[in-house]
Amino acid sequence: MASLVPPINGAMTEDLDPGGPDYDVQLESLGQWQIAWRRFRRHRMAMIGSALFFGMVIVGVVGPLILKYNYYNIPVPDVHVNAGRPPSLSHPFGETGRLQWDVLTLVVNGIRYSLLIGLIASAMGAVIGTIVGGVAGYFGGWTDTILMRIVDALLALPLLFVILVFTKFLGSGNWISVTIIFGLFEWLGIARLVRAVMLSLREEEYVDAARAAGISDRRIIFRHLVPNALSPIIVSTTLGVAGVIIGEAFISFLGFGVGFDTPTLGNILAGSLGFISQGNWWWAFFPGMAIVVIVLGINFMGDGLRDALDPRAKI
Amino acid sequence: MTETVAAPEEAPEPVRRAGVGDVLLDVQDLRTYFHVMDGTVKAVDGVSFSIRKGGRLALVGESGCGKSVTALSIMRLIETPPGEFAGGKILFEGTDLLTMDDRHIRKVRGGEIAMIFQEPMTSLNPVMTVGDQIMEAILIHQGVNKKGAQEIALKALQDVGVADPKRRLKQYPHELSGGMRQRIMIAMALSCNPKLIIADEATTALDVTIQRQILELIKAIQERTGAALLLITHDLGVVAETVDDVAVMYAGRVVETGTVEEVLLHPRMPYTRGLLESIPSQGKRGQRLSAIKGTVPNPFRLPPGCKFEPRCPFGWETCVESEPELITIGRDRSARCWLNDKRFAGRLASYSAPPATEPR
Repeated sequence: MASLVPPINGAMTEDLDPGGPDYDVQLESLGQWQIAWRRFRRHRMAMIGSALFFGMVIVGVVGPLILKYNYYNIPVPDVHVNAGRPPSLSHPFGETGRLQWDVLTLVVNGIRYSLLIGLIASAMGAVIGTIVGGVAGYFGGWTDTILMRIVDALLALPLLFVILVFTKFLGSGNWISVTIIFGLFEWLGIARLVRAVMLSLREEEYVDAARAAGISDRRIIFRHLVPNALSPIIVSTTLGVAGVIIGEAFISFLGFGVGFDTPTLGNILAGSLGFISQGNWWWAFFPGMAIVVIVLGINFMGDGLRDALDPRAKI
Repeated sequence: MTETVAAPEEAPEPVRRAGVGDVLLDVQDLRTYFHVMDGTVKAVDGVSFSIRKGGRLALVGESGCGKSVTALSIMRLIETPPGEFAGGKILFEGTDLLTMDDRHIRKVRGGEIAMIFQEPMTSLNPVMTVGDQIMEAILIHQGVNKKGAQEIALKALQDVGVADPKRRLKQYPHELSGGMRQRIMIAMALSCNPKLIIADEATTALDVTIQRQILELIKAIQERTGAALLLITHDLGVVAETVDDVAVMYAGRVVETGTVEEVLLHPRMPYTRGLLESIPSQGKRGQRLSAIKGTVPNPFRLPPGCKFEPRCPFGWETCVESEPELITIGRDRSARCWLNDKRFAGRLASYSAPPATEPR
């Protein structure tokens, strides 16, 4: 099809365009994500971290399906012995005291729910934080002041006590309500982060260009600017998963988090409380190690992501 | 109840026709101020000009004279606060853009008035493909589906002389050269058939050969589509080649208007003459390049009289004491300089007499 502007000399397009038929180089230039992925793969700690984390994810997803026992249907032994039993061939992680439950079954199910809580709560935090931070940073002025003072106020609250109060109202022990409560506090940091990034991004000329093309503020924030702010959001959300898992373990250990009908790594530890002194180390050791492995994996992975997604970093 | 009856009567009569029927954009006494910590900067202070349908006007001036702020005011892209539209009207097809509500101004932006920005390197979003960015505006303004938008985008890219447009749609801005990106920006601007194209220093960031191609492209497209063109530049060479009319700005005011020939060949304001003399050219080989002495006045301490007086080689007491209006010299020709006042006809003669290379 002929161009509708014939008076422009034909040579011009060839001058400019390196993709002409004579010397079609077809340089496959790498996109932002391809470059990041390549850097990430070369980052040794990041790969170790990912292996740890995704290994635990697989354990959490597949483990409960192939285990001998179901958490909700662990056979109750005939003889009630108060002390647990150390690891053996039939129970590689040992058995708990009191009910003689299989610790491996507990830990695998605990990993599943701990990860679920961590992932859902951080995802919630990322969404809310991005919306609040994006709006505050883009519009600035009063919108910014009000939203950020709300964030400041919420950050000033001691999280533990707020969660204690919330669990009283939202039905103590339900893992979904605990997840939501964590999600409702996870967004604060991300909102601050996104706002800071937005403050600088909104001065970019392409924002003016987009506004001059009649594109709405909402579209500019979420289609133009948020994708530019994605790297820090991803890093922060990833690290947030570890934070939530530790936080949940902490409050469940204290007995204010998820109740015993849903296993999490925290409440398994809580159950072991009276038995460590009797020498039942396996009841606390294995869930504790699971937390360590997950959190370490996420932190390594997060650091790797930070390096991989930073356009200025040279690795 | 009475309101619903009254409404349809008021609705079809929104336009206040501005003078002659063929005026597209009529800026009347525009005042755009910025309230900053140190006081108020009157970036644009009483600017008036108009563009006919299909007309071509250049707004010329040094950095900081308010020409970009004028353009951004037309698009209503001035953030308020700190900005403030302290007065004036911007009539576009008879409707005042300054009092338009947000929803309607978004229809005008991109749809009726398109703007091409200075920096092709930074006015495209780095994380969106070229295709997504062109199609976004088309989807908003044209009421077509995604497939239709893609066709319009492809045609627009062809029109601006981009080879292999299908492949370009999938590329990211960093994969393209500066000239290519500016072509994309132009394709974006014209994809919605605007009635007015504002080119804000659209060629300044490009090197000279590309600059020429882009200018010719803008001109060709403007002629084909019949859109009006508002060219904002500090480069008088660009002005001479591209437009019909010129408005010269200084310190937030229009200081001279007229056709390209009149203004460039017979400037009636010493500032315009100074600008012309400071262009290096073949004829001036071996001579010292003349420059306008001094600098643009501090916006917080503008002189009380003529704003150019401190730098003007022709100034006298009248200029220090009071600022001239835009004095009409002929049809569509005016200059903000006391030399053009009938009382000072003698001085005008001596201003016109010496050749451009008079030693200072």
